Amino acid sequence: MPAFWYYVFTLIFFLFDYFILAMGLNIQYGETGILNFAYIGFVAIGSYVTGAVSLPSSAGTGQQYILGLSLPFPINLIIGGLAASALALFVALITLRRLRTDYLAMVLISLSLVLWDLINNYVRLFNGADGLYNVPEPMASVFKLTTNSFVPFFAGVTAAVALILWFLMSRITRSPLGRTFRAIRDDADVAAALGKGVFRYQLTSMLIGAFYAGIGGGLIIQFGGSFNTSAWLPGETFVIFAVIIVGGVGNNLGLLVGALLVETLLIHLPAFLPDIPGHPELIQYIDAMLIGILLMVMLWFRPQGMIPERVRRSPLLSTFSKSDGQQVVVPTSPSSVMTATDSAALRNVDEKDES
Amino acid sequence: MTTRDEMNSPVDQVNEPILRCQDITKSFLGVNAVNGATFDVPKGKITALIGPNGAGKTTVVNIISGAMKCDSGTVHMGSTDVTNWERYKIARLGLMRTFQLSRELGGLTVLENLLVAPKVQAGESLFNIFFRPRLLKREERQNIERATEILRTYGLYELRDSLARELSGGQKKLLEISRGVMASPSLFLLDEPMAGVNPALIERIGGYILDMKRQGMTVLMIEHNLNVVEKICDNVIVLAEGRTLATGRLSELRANPEVVQAYLGEIINAGPHN
Amino acid sequence: MAQFWLAFGFGLVTASVLAIAAVGLSLQFGITNYINFAYGDFMALGAYFTYALNSEFLHLNVWIALVGGSLCMGLLAVLFNHFLLGPFARRFNKTFYVLIVTFGLSLIILNAIYSIWGANVRAYNMKIEQVLHIGPFLLTRNQLIVMAISVVMMLLVHLMLKTTRLGKSMRAMSDNTTLAMTSGIDTRRITTITWFLSGTLAGLAGSVLGITEGNVTPAPGELFLFVIFAAVIVGGVGSIYGAMAGAVLIGLATEISAAFFNASYKLDVAFVILILTLLFRPNGLFARPGRA
Repeated sequence: MPAFWYYVFTLIFFLFDYFILAMGLNIQYGETGILNFAYIGFVAIGSYVTGAVSLPSSAGTGQQYILGLSLPFPINLIIGGLAASALALFVALITLRRLRTDYLAMVLISLSLVLWDLINNYVRLFNGADGLYNVPEPMASVFKLTTNSFVPFFAGVTAAVALILWFLMSRITRSPLGRTFRAIRDDADVAAALGKGVFRYQLTSMLIGAFYAGIGGGLIIQFGGSFNTSAWLPGETFVIFAVIIVGGVGNNLGLLVGALLVETLLIHLPAFLPDIPGHPELIQYIDAMLIGILLMVMLWFRPQGMIPERVRRSPLLSTFSKSDGQQVVVPTSPSSVMTATDSAALRNVDEKDES
Repeated sequence: MTTRDEMNSPVDQVNEPILRCQDITKSFLGVNAVNGATFDVPKGKITALIGPNGAGKTTVVNIISGAMKCDSGTVHMGSTDVTNWERYKIARLGLMRTFQLSRELGGLTVLENLLVAPKVQAGESLFNIFFRPRLLKREERQNIERATEILRTYGLYELRDSLARELSGGQKKLLEISRGVMASPSLFLLDEPMAGVNPALIERIGGYILDMKRQGMTVLMIEHNLNVVEKICDNVIVLAEGRTLATGRLSELRANPEVVQAYLGEIINAGPHN
Repeated sequence: MAQFWLAFGFGLVTASVLAIAAVGLSLQFGITNYINFAYGDFMALGAYFTYALNSEFLHLNVWIALVGGSLCMGLLAVLFNHFLLGPFARRFNKTFYVLIVTFGLSLIILNAIYSIWGANVRAYNMKIEQVLHIGPFLLTRNQLIVMAISVVMMLLVHLMLKTTRLGKSMRAMSDNTTLAMTSGIDTRRITTITWFLSGTLAGLAGSVLGITEGNVTPAPGELFLFVIFAAVIVGGVGSIYGAMAGAVLIGLATEISAAFFNASYKLDVAFVILILTLLFRPNGLFARPGRA
């Protein structure tokens, strides 16, 4: 296969993988308002666990890791997702109930660093800074894939997984549950005053988001076959924030656009550019700065993103009201001691209150 | 305090209280905002909570609704002791409130603001979303039907698909009240529903509050406008310096020298339209 | 026991650096009411400014270069506030936005450092120090100077807050910004000065960290930031004296545990203390009610 197509399918893989990651962060941040600065930690755990359960028992591989169950795709992936959710449960129980936004963000970014530190230092558990390698290519033996045909094949698998997860996510965001998430995002106090157990919903949102993080991470380790600890620093979380803010907070299609713009065009495409002589990694650094600047420019000039959140108009409504949008006779409180003059009064409201 | 028992008795005989506050105290950094507030809110009536600025009215509402914890004292809803419960649990028991400055859910449409309100919805469970879509659809249909009806009543129907943050101040006020009604509370706390609102809308909101009473809701409202209180409230609680000064009908309170001195006097003397 | 006292000495050095950093972060948080996630990178940048003055351009003595580097960082912090963070904080009433912007700023500064100075470890140009025996402690002269700088800075901050008009205005603002504004305090000016102080302290902390560690890296932006957060949260967010106390606690705890367990778990110890604090005293160990 020509190198060109190899690159294209690599880009397609990252496009859909980051779409999955963005959906997970979006339900936490975009829908529920949890500023999860530790998101990449959940991706890392999902990645590690997926790798560890796919590998054969660690004896004789020269690596140190737990599990080693040789589980096939997609069971390994789902276990990776669940592991990330389990971590989210633990984190949420300790932090969510007691901390306001910025404390939470501080604790989460700290957690992200500590996870990174743990993965690097606990050689017995995580194989230390070496990470995992030689993770088997899923289904390669079943479909008799070669190293070359694996890349397009797995890009396709990832796209399929992303579409399934998109479908599931849109079911959630369109449901009353999604509506309650957004109510909490807009004003958690009001949501609580309406009888919503805010913590329970935030927890649910954390678990769903972490599951997506774990799946996205699991796909990465299976695609590349290895787990490199340097890819899991907190700055990586920022890239995913950039994806959802550029694409459109609260809009799943926007996330795909964001993944295309930020992840594919800004991060992976420059990797194919030739290096500046004498400064091997300069392009990469400048690229990261560009992402930061792009995000700030977007936040300032178009905080709703490329494709803004949809205003959810209810199609069901028309089945109840034939006079949809027409002059409506407002049956305003006939029992009043006072005289009620309705629509005129409403118009007055607008004029007077603005002053 | 002298007149409290006599004034309460006729009400008590007719109605058992839906809300009973006993000796609530709350201090902020050593300053007593509420200092032994004790009162009952009779069921099925409209009760006004009045008092000069800084009397602790909003703090009392915050404590009742669970937005703040009190230092001592008890709050009972019916026979349940709800003192210092979490907000959402109190809300689930049937208490709704509005805020002094209306707080809309800005990123949701007007209709969605109402649809969030029903306290327990099958559609808020992940299991139901994926495995019981029929139930969801039925529930949603009923909720939309009811929300539509309420929006029509409140004159917000045409705005149903607008984002709540785009509404004007008066519309936000109406939205907040209608959202509370959507939750069918047994006790509805209104924190200055008429503040900063033009006279025509005051009339309308007054009408809505009377409607709530007709539908069997109990209303406790903080209100400064004594004309409104006189016209729609059955019962009045006067707070001053964090204490219950007196309770009873407004006409009776006007005759109470202590009340007049502490609060009413200045307003009554200032004329009928404060 | 000797090992304990040795570690205690190192703990005091770490605490000195940490206290400077934590106070700088707390001052700014108290005034603007949002956390600056780029603070660790402010430290790193300050350290590199000092490095530039010390080894690249003017070849100043490291202690003089440090003053220059810190002040440069202070000025830069003012510019960041004026052109970036301030406008975002005023425009959006949810803290989300400005937090994400500081997070982004952190990424930009970090990569700017990599672009300019590369990823290699640098070292200040200073004399190799003899280790001195002082009581049970083993410390270098530089470490002693760093401790002295820290103590002096803490005293200066204390005096400023308690005795000067500026300090009183700052305390008033951190208690209640609106009230301070209505009582005639020029909040914009105070905010600018606070950013200058915060940036200067960050630069100073980064530089003295470089001196005590013997090398300069961009690492503070990534790893040291979290230790500062631990100190600040343990002390009670927004409380200056809490930040000092938290710094001493975290500094001692990490170094002493490193002496007895494994040095690579330093961060984990700080994190465990952080989590325990959150579980049992979520407002911090030293917070007064109404603050934080």
